[in-house]
Amino acid sequence: MTTEYQKPLPRPLSPELTKPFWDAANRHELVMPRCQKCDHFFFYPREECPRCLSPDIQWASVSGRGRLHTYTIVHQPVNPAFREDAPHVYSVIQLDEGPRMISNMVECDLDDLRVDMPVVAVYDDVTPDWTLVKFKPA
Amino acid sequence: MNTSLRGKYCIAGVGETEFSRGSNRTTRAMGAEAIRNAMNDAGLKPEDVDGMLSYHGGDSTPSTSIMYDLGLRPNFYMDCSGGGSSTEALVGLAMGAIEAGMADTVAIFRSMNGYSQMRIGGTGVRAASPITGIDLLKRPYGMISAVQQFSFTFTRHMMEYGVKNEDLAHIKVAHSNHASNNPKALMKQRVTVEDVMNSRWIIRPVAHLLDCCLETDNATCVIVTSAERARDLKQKPVYILGVQGRGTKPGGDFHYQHGPISRVAGYYVGPRVFELAGVTHDDVDVTGCYDAFTYTALLQFEDYGWCEKGEGKDYVTSGIINLGGRRPNNTSGGHLCEAYTHGMNMVIENVRQLRGTVDDYCPQALEGVHTYDYSEGHCRQVRDAEVSMNMGWGTPAVGSSLIMRR
Ligand SMILES: [Zn+2]
Repeated sequence: MTTEYQKPLPRPLSPELTKPFWDAANRHELVMPRCQKCDHFFFYPREECPRCLSPDIQWASVSGRGRLHTYTIVHQPVNPAFREDAPHVYSVIQLDEGPRMISNMVECDLDDLRVDMPVVAVYDDVTPDWTLVKFKPA
Repeated sequence: MNTSLRGKYCIAGVGETEFSRGSNRTTRAMGAEAIRNAMNDAGLKPEDVDGMLSYHGGDSTPSTSIMYDLGLRPNFYMDCSGGGSSTEALVGLAMGAIEAGMADTVAIFRSMNGYSQMRIGGTGVRAASPITGIDLLKRPYGMISAVQQFSFTFTRHMMEYGVKNEDLAHIKVAHSNHASNNPKALMKQRVTVEDVMNSRWIIRPVAHLLDCCLETDNATCVIVTSAERARDLKQKPVYILGVQGRGTKPGGDFHYQHGPISRVAGYYVGPRVFELAGVTHDDVDVTGCYDAFTYTALLQFEDYGWCEKGEGKDYVTSGIINLGGRRPNNTSGGHLCEAYTHGMNMVIENVRQLRGTVDDYCPQALEGVHTYDYSEGHCRQVRDAEVSMNMGWGTPAVGSSLIMRR
């Protein structure tokens, strides 16, 4: 990569809470916080389980498989750094394990997008330090 | 539910500045002008207004500066953080402050250079803000503006219920027809379904350019006081029957986690506001349904129960929401055609509707003499309007509502 990456990076203010997620993404794995008391997978990461309020949380691997819950196709990105990608797709992914996450849909013809279509995670190494988890049609 | 305040409070004065794109004025000067206009409208002197409430997104001027310019000395003021759906919520808070004996007459204002300084589309100052909290997991993917976040709800709804862009365009057409009879409106040009469909995509598949509101520089004000006090003032009192806000869906800042994603906060707010006001849908003559986008109005019509879930497309294409229809919506043109004010102009419009003195092109409009000719360049007064309802939108997950009676 010859030019500097211009888009926002997920540099967290409380790294300890989100570090396992980004470390796993670097290894091309998807992990989610899971409550050890009630087995609930949830996202985004918090210090307590939003279902039972237990603080006993572990990170667990998930399949990276799910469905496209909803999406939008953006023609005019407000951040100029995204203009080279336009039109591009923001999406909410329903993971098979339960949580929903925001991501981008890639490797898909825009006219083929449908809610509830099966998707699978892909890993975009946007800089040497940061990998974004995106999704493509399964 | 405490219904004892039903009809005990009124909106006694309303006012605004010019709606423009490029005010070349401070939010301080505009805020003072809007409040002064509302005070004049009500016939209130500086010593009569002893409360102030405002809302802002870091884009306004504090009450403490504006009170100085107006010669006010409040017994109560607060500047609250918030955007859409704050108007109705603050009307309720004003009633609470008066009921608590903290003030007698409260001016609620919103002042924003929404076009020339802080554009709600997410460009300008706001786009440069640092990444924190949940944004960590959204911003790297490019998510930032309101339409992008709202449209997750829109797209899912569209695909579940078979809504067409032509259906949404009817909302813009209705509001543009209304705006053509509003001298204050930024966009007075009547548009057709084809015009909307031919405007460029902003967010596919849910919003063309003409489905989006008009970023605007403006300030607005409504004044709340007791019914007793209002009866001595200049205008016909408009009584507050019930108010709710800001009611939420489960899940707060990441409500997308909690299905059904196509449901909006009105689902929770609606039954409460009707019960509080003691009226039914059939009693309502005119609505003010927040139209940041055509889709926000359609979703709220469904979840407030004006039609069944999934039948919003039929409601908005049936003619009901047009002037001359059973229950016109956003008769000023709303956010799509009059101005984007974070909800204030729709409450102001309904106050004027209930007074019978909407400021249209009828020669004696301000004396309450109207032609009810809704063709272009004429009347926009709803005949014999008695009850109005506002439905404010913060996000799909946050909403407020206000029911008023003349
Ligand atoms: Zn738990």
